[in-house]
Amino acid sequence: MFRRSYSVSHLPGFGFVAILTFLMLYLPILVLVIFSFNAGVSQSIWEGFSLQWYEAAFRNRQVRDVSIRSLWLAATAAGIATMVATLAALGTTRTGRFPGQTMIYALINQPLMVPEVVTGVALLIFVAAIKVQTGYTGMGYLVAAHTAFCIPFAYLPIRARLETMDINLERAAADLYATPLQAFRYITLPLLVPGILAGFMLGFVISLDTVVITEFVKSAGQDTLPTYMLGQLRRTVTPEMNAIATLFLALSLMIVTAFFLITRKRGA
Amino acid sequence: MKDQTARDSVEIEITGLSKVFGQGAAAFSALSDIDLTIRTGEFFTLLGPSGCGKTTLLRVIAGFEQPSTGSLRINGREVAGKGPNARPVNTVFQNYALFPHMSVADNIGFGLKMLGKPRAEVAATTADMLRLVKMEEMAERKPAQISGGQQQRVALARALAPRPRVLLLDEPLSALDLKLRKEMQGELKRLQAETGITFIFVTHDQEEALTMSDRVAVMSAGRILQLGSPHEIYHAPRERFVADFIGDTNFMELPVARLEKGGAFVTLPGGSETRAELPEGLTPVIGEKVTVVIRPEQVQMAPPDAAEMTGTVESATFFGTDTHVHLRLSDGQGFILRRQNSARTEEPAPGAVMGLKLSPGALRVLRD
Amino acid sequence: MAEQRESHLWKWLLCTPALLVLVLAASGPLFIVLAYSFLTPGTMGGVRWEFSTEGWFRVFLQRDIFDPDEVRWNQAHLTIFWRSISLSLQTTIICAVLGFPTAWFIATRPPHRRALWLFLITIPFWTNLLIRTFAIQELIRNNGTINTLLMRTGIIDSPIQMMFTDFAVLLGMAYVFMPLMVLPLYAAMDKLDFRLVEAGYDLYASRIKVLWYVILPLVKPGFIAGSILVFIPSIGAYVTPRVLGGGRTMMLGNLIALQFGQGRNWPLGAALAVVMLVIVVTTLVLYLRWANREGGQVRV
Ligand SMILES: Nc1ncnc2c1ncn2[C@@H]1O[C@H](COP(=O)(O)OP(=O)(O)O)[C@@H](O)[C@H]1O
Ligand SMILES: [Mg+2]
Repeated sequence: MFRRSYSVSHLPGFGFVAILTFLMLYLPILVLVIFSFNAGVSQSIWEGFSLQWYEAAFRNRQVRDVSIRSLWLAATAAGIATMVATLAALGTTRTGRFPGQTMIYALINQPLMVPEVVTGVALLIFVAAIKVQTGYTGMGYLVAAHTAFCIPFAYLPIRARLETMDINLERAAADLYATPLQAFRYITLPLLVPGILAGFMLGFVISLDTVVITEFVKSAGQDTLPTYMLGQLRRTVTPEMNAIATLFLALSLMIVTAFFLITRKRGA
Repeated sequence: MKDQTARDSVEIEITGLSKVFGQGAAAFSALSDIDLTIRTGEFFTLLGPSGCGKTTLLRVIAGFEQPSTGSLRINGREVAGKGPNARPVNTVFQNYALFPHMSVADNIGFGLKMLGKPRAEVAATTADMLRLVKMEEMAERKPAQISGGQQQRVALARALAPRPRVLLLDEPLSALDLKLRKEMQGELKRLQAETGITFIFVTHDQEEALTMSDRVAVMSAGRILQLGSPHEIYHAPRERFVADFIGDTNFMELPVARLEKGGAFVTLPGGSETRAELPEGLTPVIGEKVTVVIRPEQVQMAPPDAAEMTGTVESATFFGTDTHVHLRLSDGQGFILRRQNSARTEEPAPGAVMGLKLSPGALRVLRD
Repeated sequence: MAEQRESHLWKWLLCTPALLVLVLAASGPLFIVLAYSFLTPGTMGGVRWEFSTEGWFRVFLQRDIFDPDEVRWNQAHLTIFWRSISLSLQTTIICAVLGFPTAWFIATRPPHRRALWLFLITIPFWTNLLIRTFAIQELIRNNGTINTLLMRTGIIDSPIQMMFTDFAVLLGMAYVFMPLMVLPLYAAMDKLDFRLVEAGYDLYASRIKVLWYVILPLVKPGFIAGSILVFIPSIGAYVTPRVLGGGRTMMLGNLIALQFGQGRNWPLGAALAVVMLVIVVTTLVLYLRWANREGGQVRV
């Protein structure tokens, strides 16, 4: 028999720990998903397959309301964030250094660095003051807060896409008699679409996940799915919560998968 | 088809043009004092080493860069200050810059569409262009789905479709392998002849420049050193740089013996005198050394008694059709001779003494 | 040059809408927090517009109820600060110890399978943090999956109290922040030139020595980046300690929130928020300085 060749990348025990880590990452979620299909109330004893908790979730008026609000908020905030992030990306890429550039980067990335609690209480104070002044208590506050929070996430893939785009393409368009606006409309924008789509998806997922900021900014009756869940966790939870969480997970997973497929495909 | 009158009219006129990048201490002069007239319908080549300013000059003509000083007229009209989309000039980009999200046909039709031509005309011209570059079958493919050579054809067709007065080509063949490159050189010549459009072609490959051009401008460090037909550039280089850049060359430092109308007699190593052509306006001082130049193929081997000078063979390199013989002349200068081969010629042995005879009129004095 | 200034103006104009939203709904309010930390608390929450340093005073200190001149350390706050820092460091260490082998495992898979493993690490990163915390809660509750299983198999006969302990918070944070450690580590390993590892073995190093003298120094930037990425959200954690820790094992984030809720002391809450921000920014600045000195590229 020949000895196996010497594997330079092998380090004893590393594979074992890695598998353990993956198990640790996925087991809790797996358990959560499995028991959402449980026929009984227990989170630990399997009593047979059933969709009753999903039915319960769908029948629950409040769950329906907060879900719709969450989706609406995510779509609105991600939409606005993507639009303004696209403009900002166009302004900040493919240029040499210009005055104020560092400040613009700092402002755009700021929501990534400041802890959500801090942003949350800051907005709480600010919103409270505006409410007293104007009496407005609508969804505008949440939309603004979520939009700001989504901007860095939307900005990233759009900027990445712009940076890898060949600047000669726009030059070629100008050479072929396109005005700057036409060059943008026919060349830059179509090539940017995957980046914009990816930016929107990231923003959407981030807005859906945002719980701390929402918790501090929301007025009465403006619960989103995450803040509703956070409130419910205090009580004894039934597998209905598992069902809601599972649906929520599935949605996020779908968007993230789509995001990966979009960003992995190079070119058109 | 080219007609003689069109050939003689001026297409592009550049006077006193310069381009400076940056400012203050970091200022860099990429083009200085360019005077250039390009005739309608000619195949004009800008030749020079990398970094000499060829691309910059092309971009100034295209409108991507504005000149720092000087004027640029296309077809008699001053265009300085106008953007690329307002000039009757199209560019074939070095990396083609085909729009990846559009089909081959849409790429070709883009310029006409931007010019606001009716749809039917766009379609008809696109079809013509596809035929011209023999890409009819690929019309609906995306640029990523065709080969490099095919992309090159599409880029050409795209730039030709709006029927520009001038086509600018920035090293369009440098990305292709040798075989494809030769093929495309012929293709370019054919397209130029068929369309009659003025081509301004940029290359750093002297052979490409010589084989393809009507006229060549040799550039160095932001200046045009010499402008002329390939024949003139090759056989009558005025400066050492031009002679050195184009082809293999022998330079010799030789004393002037006497002057004659349009020429000078120089003393070859070994003592015999021979005539060298003088460039216009240069009158060397008798007795002082001048630089003379002669191409290796303009020297023949001769029996020592019939030779004008002799050299000792140092080494010989076999190239198939010919052999390059490296010699040391009697005064110690190096010298290369190119000898045509036949089945019977023997390779010269190192150490052998060889007689040399120069072709009449082949020796030229350089301005230096 | 005028032309250049004009194009700068364009860049700024394009950025304006984004900057407007950011300043209004993210950066600007931070300054209001700073201002509020110097005001007097209102009786029903909110503030009265009177200057006061009492909020800042109370961050670490407290006065005796009967004798306002007697000043003592605020033990409760100190405990919470200490817990926040200690738990964040422990989380970082756990993530590093488990994350390093995991990243190595991914980086040494065949290229076509690497993307899948990487995707498996990224998914938890993009799925809801609250749901992941909820999943942990379901496992470790007194009548949760683990306790039920252990009792059914007769290993224990009364449930182990795991919820509402430091352990629960630690477990939860390590669980939710793990991908933040693995991803930068993987990025560093992906760039690792395996010929260097081969050279190490060629020069008679054992596996441990190659790991210590060759691999670890080369992936150090990834380690540091991962540690920062885990430490910062740990310090700022709110959801995980709130769900898994409850009132008894509060972290700094929960203490801040408390002042805006039942605590009804907005200036103190604002001051605490500023302290948290300072800790985070200091960590970041130290990291950026280090990264710049190392000459590595910093990706934000
Ligand atoms: N935008 C620019 N800014 C500063 N220097 C430049 C710029 N474009 C070109 N140059 C400089 O001008 C010189 C000529 O460049 P180029 O025209 O590209 O040369 P070539 O095409 O002959 O290789 C080079 O030294 C180059 O570095
Ligand atoms: Mg060039």
